[in-house]
Amino acid sequence: MNVDAVSAVFREVLEIPEVTADSDFFVMGGDSLLATRVLSAVARATGVELEFDDLLDAPTPNALSKKIAEAA
Amino acid sequence: MNVVVVGAGLAGLTAATELVARGAEVTVLEARERVGGRTHGLEVEPGGWVDAGAAYLGERHTALTALLAELDLKTTPATVAGASRFALRDAGATRPGRFPPLSAVALGEMFDALEEVTRLVRPDAPWLTEDAARLDGLTAERWAAERLRHPDARLFFSLFLGEMMAADPARVSVLHMAFYLRSGGGIRYLNAFEGGAQEWRIAGGAHQVCERLAAALGDRVRLGEPVLELHQDAGGVTATTPRGRVRGTHAVVAVPPVLADAIDLRPGPPAPRSTPATGPGCAVKVHLVYPSPLWRELGLSGWSVSAEGPLLSTVDDSPAGERAGVLTGFVTGAEARRYAALPAPEQRGLAVAQAARLFPELPPPIAFHLTDWVGEPYSRGCYAALFGPGDWPRLGPGLTAPHGRVHWAGTETSTEFFGLMEGAIRSGHRVAAEITWRETP
Repeated sequence: MNVDAVSAVFREVLEIPEVTADSDFFVMGGDSLLATRVLSAVARATGVELEFDDLLDAPTPNALSKKIAEAA
Repeated sequence: MNVVVVGAGLAGLTAATELVARGAEVTVLEARERVGGRTHGLEVEPGGWVDAGAAYLGERHTALTALLAELDLKTTPATVAGASRFALRDAGATRPGRFPPLSAVALGEMFDALEEVTRLVRPDAPWLTEDAARLDGLTAERWAAERLRHPDARLFFSLFLGEMMAADPARVSVLHMAFYLRSGGGIRYLNAFEGGAQEWRIAGGAHQVCERLAAALGDRVRLGEPVLELHQDAGGVTATTPRGRVRGTHAVVAVPPVLADAIDLRPGPPAPRSTPATGPGCAVKVHLVYPSPLWRELGLSGWSVSAEGPLLSTVDDSPAGERAGVLTGFVTGAEARRYAALPAPEQRGLAVAQAARLFPELPPPIAFHLTDWVGEPYSRGCYAALFGPGDWPRLGPGLTAPHGRVHWAGTETSTEFFGLMEGAIRSGHRVAAEITWRETP
């Protein structure tokens, strides 16, 4: 899942247009409930099942995209 | 204008206060020997109060926050920092924050499904939702069985409905679930402490709101007077209680739907306020009192979630600025019905034993309080009535429609923040405006 696709998921879940490759999910208003919805979208698109702590470690589209690639 | 108000909870007292301000004569008839309805304070140490009933609010609860300002009541943050305890798949897991040790992807699928169905509902008139018949005919339990595949999602779903609505998924319709979640501001707002519907408690207890409103109304409020009959004629309404009769030009019935239906109303209303499918909110609240909030010194928040009851969750409700530490345990849904039927010593034994398993570092509590809302004859459930399959199409159209001179209030008549203190207060404002408007030449 590339950075743009992850950014699109952030935008959809956070319901805000202004997400860039380096936007921090939790700074942009994400909480643990919305985090699960990012992870379910990632799982649907890639089959990769990440945990909540993975998003805490990699809270930007850039970092999360790398994490997905490593886990795939 | 001379109004008889039935019920001295938030809805009835808000309506009474506003009607008096607009020049009406008002009599409030309350069945209990106290005001407050589903708000009730318990004094766990001298000056230290906890909420046995409704407790939390957030910034979207604008009618309640305005009322608190008028009554000079303050709020206190409901969040406590620290780690949480979980007894879900594995016993006794400690985790930083509040995220449960379950599959995050499974929980995400559950919240996706809830978000989808919550968006479908028409919040101002759920019975007019497109596809209402299908959503109304389906219980939340069957919906979850069809829609949620991961066992973690199913496990968490019933805990979530218990926490949000005190509902047993087998007895509530999907339409009502979706409406309730939407009405309260959506799943995210309802679920959140900080920035959500559990941002604050009322310092000193939520019961003070009704106590202060009642104090200002003085002898207009009469306790120990359950209304048995409401008879209308061309000139007005007569309320009958065991102590006598009160006559008014209008009446406001501000009690839960099942209790409204128990009043002998003549002539009878065109539609009932409840049906056999209408269930009680199933909540038992227990308070475990400790010498101080000992868990905080151990880096724990007091928050726990368990798959097995009776205490499905615990939260730190220690009175602000006092010595005592209080863990509030929530017993909700089907578990509340089972637990409420047990003898008192067994109830205490089970709750104390579970607290000891969750928090083995803590000494036994020094006091124990239990409030069974399901068994309360003048509430018959808490947080709010739960509409079962078939209920919204039958009950929705008459939710706020006056029956002659009889007007309806209560949190269950508010499509905004249904089931919450905020909904009750908004219904009180609405009904006062209705009556005043009718009387305006």
